[in-house]
Amino acid sequence: MASKALIYIVDDEPLQRELLADHLGNMPAYEIHSFGTGEECLAAIKVRIPTIVFLDYYLNSQVKDAMDGTEILQEIKSIAPAIEVVMISGQDKIEVAVNSMKHGAFDYIVKGEGAFVRAEKTVFNIYRFHKLTGTASRYRTLMVLFGIGMLLMIILVIYLQTHGYISKLPGWA
Amino acid sequence: MSENKELTDLSYLRSLTGGANDKMAKYIRMFLTGAPISLQQMELYALSKDWSGLKGTAHALKPQLGYFGAKGTEDLLKNIERMAGDQVDLEQIPASLENFKVQLDLITVELEAQLKALGN
Repeated sequence: MASKALIYIVDDEPLQRELLADHLGNMPAYEIHSFGTGEECLAAIKVRIPTIVFLDYYLNSQVKDAMDGTEILQEIKSIAPAIEVVMISGQDKIEVAVNSMKHGAFDYIVKGEGAFVRAEKTVFNIYRFHKLTGTASRYRTLMVLFGIGMLLMIILVIYLQTHGYISKLPGWA
Repeated sequence: MSENKELTDLSYLRSLTGGANDKMAKYIRMFLTGAPISLQQMELYALSKDWSGLKGTAHALKPQLGYFGAKGTEDLLKNIERMAGDQVDLEQIPASLENFKVQLDLITVELEAQLKALGN
């Protein structure tokens, strides 16, 4: 059986965390783990790397000196750049979204009624993005191999020609 | 206008959970446990004039009210967040918090009744 892709959720509000975890938990291909602070999430990443992290932008409503979402985002990207981080916030300010994307977030979701469906769509978009980049990478490898083959063929033809083997072939003038 | 108009509306939560009573009851209980703590924190932050703390707590609680359909109370909290964040109209914060406390009490009564109706 194929192993499930891992999703981490970081939010200091238990209800918000539970709602998102329950909603994403409906997708059978994903295993969900949630954390109340970014520090807990960073510790978990060092043990097991997730595919996606849903990360709250403000993480200090319960623990005042807790690292905020942007700091955690930067830490995650420095540990494992391939992890896709989706920022979540109650702020619908454009500068918050721009700041998140600037630090490497895959997407930015505003908390509210549409957030859970949007989160589910984002998971699907990340899956599709990884599939496309995987396909592009395979094509790139194929093109490199084809190029090497062509180069070897040219070298062979030059070698045969310089040593006079080609002119001896039937039909070669 | 009706005198008995409820502050909450669980239709969004019902649709999100697909009508699963156990999940709805779990979310209501989580809100009823967390919201009074947040209110207490906000009152302490206001007393100590910690506007950043007040803004953060109001910000975190705000969307949760929306999930229970308490749009008016969510707007009230949004206003508290704005006043604390921008440090404007600070003299209005105690009255707004008092108003929020009254609304939260009403929301609590409504949600406790919903819990009973859900069989919990």
